[in-house]
Amino acid sequence: MDYSALKASVSAYLGMKEADSATDSLIDECIADVTEAARFRCLYRIFTEPPGFLLSGEYPKLLEATRGVVLTVSTLGAEVDRLIRYLSASDMARSVVADAAASALLETYADDYESGIAEGLSDRFCPGYGGTDVRDVIHILKAVGADRIGVFMLPSGLMVPQKSMAGLRVIRGGVRRTCGRCVLLERCSYRKEGVRCYDRKRK
Amino acid sequence: MLRQEKKVIVMDGGFGSELERRGLGLGVPADLNVTHAEEIKDIHRSYAAADIITANSFGINRIKYDGAYDVKTVALAAIENARAAGKPVFFDVGPTGAMMQPSGTLSFDEAYGAYAEIAELTGGLVDGYIAETFSDLYELKACVLALKEHTDKPVFATMTFDASGRTLTGSTPRIAAMTLEGLGVDALGVNCSLGPRELEGVVRELLTYSGVPVIVQPNRGLPVLRRGRTCYDLDVESFVGGMRRFVEMGAGIIGGCCGTTPEFINRLAAEFGGRETAPREVVRETAVCSGSRLVVIDGVKICGERLNPTGKKKLKEALAAGDYDYLAREAVRQAEAGADLLDLNVGVPMTDEAASMKRAVLKVQEYVDLPLQIDSSSAEAIERGVRCCNGVPLINSVNGEDEVMDRVFPIAKKYGAVVLGLTMDGGGVPKTAEERRRIAERIIARAEAYGIPRHRVMIDTLVLTASAEQALVKETVEALRQVRALGVKTALGVSNVSFGLPARGLLNKTFLTMAMTCGLNMPIMNPLDGEMVAAVDAYNVLAGLDEGSAKYIEKYRDAVGTVTYAAPARPAAAEGGDGTLYGCVRRGLKNDARALTLKELETREPLDVVENVLVRALTDVGADYESGKLFLPQLISSAEAAKEAFAALSEKLPRGGSDKGTVVLATVRGDVHDIGKNIVKVVAESYGYRVIDLGKDTPEETVVEAVKKFAPMAVGLSALMTTTVPSMERTVKALRAAGCTTPVFVGGAVLTADIAKEIGADFYTSDALGFVKALDNLRLKS
Repeated sequence: MDYSALKASVSAYLGMKEADSATDSLIDECIADVTEAARFRCLYRIFTEPPGFLLSGEYPKLLEATRGVVLTVSTLGAEVDRLIRYLSASDMARSVVADAAASALLETYADDYESGIAEGLSDRFCPGYGGTDVRDVIHILKAVGADRIGVFMLPSGLMVPQKSMAGLRVIRGGVRRTCGRCVLLERCSYRKEGVRCYDRKRK
Repeated sequence: MLRQEKKVIVMDGGFGSELERRGLGLGVPADLNVTHAEEIKDIHRSYAAADIITANSFGINRIKYDGAYDVKTVALAAIENARAAGKPVFFDVGPTGAMMQPSGTLSFDEAYGAYAEIAELTGGLVDGYIAETFSDLYELKACVLALKEHTDKPVFATMTFDASGRTLTGSTPRIAAMTLEGLGVDALGVNCSLGPRELEGVVRELLTYSGVPVIVQPNRGLPVLRRGRTCYDLDVESFVGGMRRFVEMGAGIIGGCCGTTPEFINRLAAEFGGRETAPREVVRETAVCSGSRLVVIDGVKICGERLNPTGKKKLKEALAAGDYDYLAREAVRQAEAGADLLDLNVGVPMTDEAASMKRAVLKVQEYVDLPLQIDSSSAEAIERGVRCCNGVPLINSVNGEDEVMDRVFPIAKKYGAVVLGLTMDGGGVPKTAEERRRIAERIIARAEAYGIPRHRVMIDTLVLTASAEQALVKETVEALRQVRALGVKTALGVSNVSFGLPARGLLNKTFLTMAMTCGLNMPIMNPLDGEMVAAVDAYNVLAGLDEGSAKYIEKYRDAVGTVTYAAPARPAAAEGGDGTLYGCVRRGLKNDARALTLKELETREPLDVVENVLVRALTDVGADYESGKLFLPQLISSAEAAKEAFAALSEKLPRGGSDKGTVVLATVRGDVHDIGKNIVKVVAESYGYRVIDLGKDTPEETVVEAVKKFAPMAVGLSALMTTTVPSMERTVKALRAAGCTTPVFVGGAVLTADIAKEIGADFYTSDALGFVKALDNLRLKS
């Protein structure tokens, strides 16, 4: 795992360009605490024929010219949620940094794990992106049997534990990230600076 | 303690795999009881070699079930089908498929209600229940209680553990065994997830700590993908070999889960059915646990005493105002300071103590995973607390009086709690150690008569003040020695000893050391008192409990001073302050804030400090944040430092002097993200606003009630997702319908000024500072 990329990701989640040394140490400590509390689990399922919910709306576009789609669910587990909650009662700054560290760590672990699934996988596309309904998450959870790793969906589409992700990656071609239909298109602080949240080097 | 059950019982095997083999793998399995009754009966018949048949009823409860019928229809059909095998039938009870609070939104009572419904529908029709594949001990507790309170049939309970040896919510087999046995299940164990070989560690632990028969129902090994289908990697021989091991170790009930077939069960029945179970050594220990943390009461364990309103004005006020977040913070603080478990007492006159206790337990266990000591003189409050507690708590307390024991022991028995007995009775506190020991004997005997084993009883030999009863101090200590000889562990409320004398700290830590030497296991003390904790640390070295003095050296290597040895607090991060309160807030050094505030007050008036130091610092911090010179974590640190300063000031300020106004905040129903709201809370409080925080997943009615009760100057609603914005809209509508004209602010990543207008809110603010500025404007206008 590339630690400085992870740290850069944490800073980005905090909306920071660079940290003063106190915050920098805080980030290191929080990454360590979250890593210790985390019990990363991931489940996936490969489909050569797309499952039902991917046949309508915005999804078919993503599946054009692909050989299959992988549905994935990953989580850091409920202990991380508890850690963030615990910190919020004693040290809010630490809680906020831990929250950002957890998001960054989840993405890193998931990317590492999922890259081993198949050759030529696209970026991860999660329901809620680009005009899709976040509640489609339930189809992914059901397809992989996510209750086996303790991931559930609330009626609002939120997953619990909070540091969980459900998404799809196509095999060969397909999903490329764009700002397209992101809800923050008009107000995005990254776009204002000419970069993208998924590509912080772009200028 | 040696344990041996009668004969090995064999249960049936996997059902899902049998359904798949017959091409019935799609759809809701429970519905097949109605649509394909004959095939289901066939499967049950194929398992007739088993001693107990499990009905095809996994997933039948009103929360999980989403088939075409209703719960009653499929439940009854499932039982009828299972009877076809001509063997005793157990109803298979599974999880709700929803996540319990606080991570999720399912409450203990809701889970309980769903299982109670099942019990009522089926109690007269089955021979027993098996609750299977649970990964949340709290949910399983609700299930077991519901089953036991609505039927008189045997209840088996098994959990599923992953490769790390814990359940998904962090329970170890030892914690599961302790808790389930305490709740009175007839057998407990493990099913699913893994194969026999992978489960060896889990099974060993269960067999070591369970005083009731242990159930083992593994999967047929680990899943493998063959030609796009999921299969399991073990053949019959390997599986049976693995199970043989468990039977030899003492497992009393065996079967198979996913992937096992009638062939597997036939072999198990042939080889082990009716065999005498192997004897095993079971460890009996005095221990308490939460859902994820076990504390064995041995050596010296610190029970944090701070959550007790006696003599604590702020806590009394918080309880009276319903501010349970205050309790959560105190709990966290004690946990941070190293408490092993926490005492919880909410007895305030003129309050509904039982209701308070429930809320307090739920709140505290949201934040800390330490085991709890439910402290009350009201049996009703004790029961309420023990019932909704996850794991096995301590009950504080009983004494030698018959009517007290008769009220409290049944509660301890029912919920499996450990009970603390005080060695006094109607005659008051006995003068001699002898008499106290005799009362202890009576308490232990009476507990055993109620079916509470000795290892679940602890004794407190009572601490009186040295100033009033100097001669009795040594009786307390001698009584510890005598009571330990009875084979029970001990506790004391240590700080009582110094009441009324000067240099209390010195007396407390000396007495604590005397008591530990004579067998005190659990001091009930203030874990924030560095001196007392240091005494325990030193004792652990001298008593050989801290092997190699490793912990002691780690903690005290940099300690200074010859009189006090409290360990230095976690070293603050790099940048030091400049010795001024302004600098302290600018830099966010909250640990220095209180001392610097008091220093300022030596030369300035409180309001002067507020305006010219704190507000100035916060304004400068805000400006730096907005211009991108500093960022969110630093903003929050500054806010927290300012909060500490305000807290110190409020002790000096006239009542309400610094209170700029009250604000009610909530994350709306269906949304459990509260980081944004929490940041707003911290910043608003740092600016002098009083915040009533309703938490997350807040029903509309709760917001309306709070607005009516507190008459705030503004309401702040937060939602993270587009799907919860409708909840926000409903909340605004509910407020207006109730006649509340309080300005409503909304915020959250998906909101915009337009959406705010659409849903009827008054203002949209994009971050915490924006919110505070808007509040300040509102104040100026009014």
